[in-house]
Order: sequence, then structure tokens, then C-alpha cells
Amino acid sequence: MLTIVLNGKPETVAEGSTVADMLAAAGSDGRTVATVLNDHVVRPPERSAAVLREGDRMEILVFAGGG
Amino acid sequence: MDPMDLLHIGPRTFSSRLILGTGKFSSSKVMLEAVRASKAELVTVALRRFNREQLEDDLFGPLSELEGLTLMPNTSGASTAAEAVKAAHISRELSGSPFIKVEIHPNPHHLLPDPIETFEASRILASEGFLVMPYIAADPVLAKRLEEVGCASVMPLGAQIGSGQGLTTAGMLDIIIRESTVPVIVDAGLRAPSEAARAMEMGCSAVLVNSAIAAAADPAEMAAAFRDATAAGRSALRAGLMTAGNEAVPTSPLTSFLGESR
Repeated sequence: MLTIVLNGKPETVAEGSTVADMLAAAGSDGRTVATVLNDHVVRPPERSAAVLREGDRMEILVFAGGG
Repeated sequence: MDPMDLLHIGPRTFSSRLILGTGKFSSSKVMLEAVRASKAELVTVALRRFNREQLEDDLFGPLSELEGLTLMPNTSGASTAAEAVKAAHISRELSGSPFIKVEIHPNPHHLLPDPIETFEASRILASEGFLVMPYIAADPVLAKRLEEVGCASVMPLGAQIGSGQGLTTAGMLDIIIRESTVPVIVDAGLRAPSEAARAMEMGCSAVLVNSAIAAAADPAEMAAAFRDATAAGRSALRAGLMTAGNEAVPTSPLTSFLGESR
């Protein structure tokens, strides 16, 4: 097991987990979100190959209302 | 006179001169109705963390379904140029839109934009090919400097965000409009459609409205009112306003026959 920070909160995840796995676990189909790993955008085709490491910071972001 | 009178921002053109913000609406449904009623073709959105408990907050899907709409993500939440540049890169990945509203306000009490960080972020993003729309104080010198580093427009504030105080910066806006070669878009502070009309009569290229519509009792009706007022102000500018004077000038003949029997 390893610990990452997902959307600002610590999460324990299995070794070998990917960005795509985290998206699925979060309940997103991934179509309308951006994924960011350690400040780098992970594009949709790269998500299932993006393996998480101890201490990684991952963000799942959406467009919400804003002026 | 150009009958189409399109708004040109960089290489893009728009028929509507009303840009809508999508924040503060009571629900996504109400926001979408207002966007439809406004006939806006450019709307702002903001990046937020995904939350499975609030799936309704995800506006990308519903907004994508509206025909002819272009997204202009903002960099709200950023308090430095570096953060704004990061937000812009993430937003472009998601939106596919070249537009970015650079919005950097470090102080939540007044929400006034940081001119130094805004300039730096805008300079970097413009050099990367973004169509940069910086939200700024109504400062003619800053506006010119932003134009010189390649911003596609400048968006000076009429008053503080969400304050509804109207065009408190009118004198400075006049100078910015006179000096600018890029579109000047009043962003923030408007409360009434008459203020949007006045901004357009002054020569603004467009107005960006959010709170005044979102906070109305009937947002869709208010969006339609801003749509019409913006168009009316633009027409008035094109028609040419008469010169104001200090003395009365009669509109009817004063050589009246009525007094002749006195």
C-alpha cells in the first residue's frame, strides 16, 4: 500500500494503482474532468498508464460556475 | 456601416456582445436558462475539485450541449502569476478553448485584481498562444501594457466584483476605450441593464455580467434584459449620439400664431 494526496486529502491506495483507477474509484467517468498529477496534466489516453507513487499529489478537476 | 457588426477577439468573431459569468446561480438549470435567454456566445467557468456528492456542479457537459457556445475558463483562486498559468494550462486541456480570463485577486475582502501578477501571467499566456482576457482595475497604463504584450482584449472593472455599484470607473474607462486597439470589455460591478447600455454607448466592445443576472428574482428575464440593453447601447454608439449642450434648442417652431390675438 502507498499513500497519495487526492484533491487535498490523504488516501491509501494499492501498489500499482493508476490515475484511471483513482478516477473510477472517485465515481467519475472521466469525460468531463481534468486529471493532474504533481502539477502535470495527465491527458485521457495517458491515464491508465500513469502509475501512482508514494507521496504523489493528484487532482481531479471539473468546470463549475464562475464569473 | 457593417450590418453584421461582429465582435472580433483575436481571430474569433461573435454576434453577441454580452458575455455571461456562470457563478452564483441557484442551480445549473437556472444558469442554463439564463445563458440561453442571454444569447451569449462566450461564457466563463471556473476550475473546481471534483466532488461526487455535488455532480451537479460539473457544468462542462451541460454547457457543451448548448450550440454556438465558447467557454472562457477563468483563473480564479490563483493569487500568483505561476498559479494562474497552471490553472490556464489545465483549463485548456479540458475546454479545448483558446480563451482564458486571467483573474488574480489575492484579497477576498475587496477582490481587486493584482496588476503585477496579472501582467506577468498575461504576458506568459499570450506568448503561449492563449487568447488572454485579463480582468484588471480601470488603469489605462496597465491596459496599454497588456495590449502590448499580446492580450486579445482588456477587461477593466466597472466596480468591485459582485458589488452592483455600476460604472464607478467611467472616467478611466473613457481613456482606456480611447487608447485601446483591442476590445475593451467591462467586467464586474454592473447591476442594471441601463449600465450595460451606457458602457456600450461609451464605446466598450462588450460587457461581462454575472451577479446582476444570477441574483435577479428571474435570472432568465434579467439575462434577456441585459441582452437587449447591450444591443441597444451598441446601436446607439453606431448611430451617433447627439452633442449635449447647456441651453435649450427648440424642436418646434416658436413663431406661434396663437399669441397674435393678444
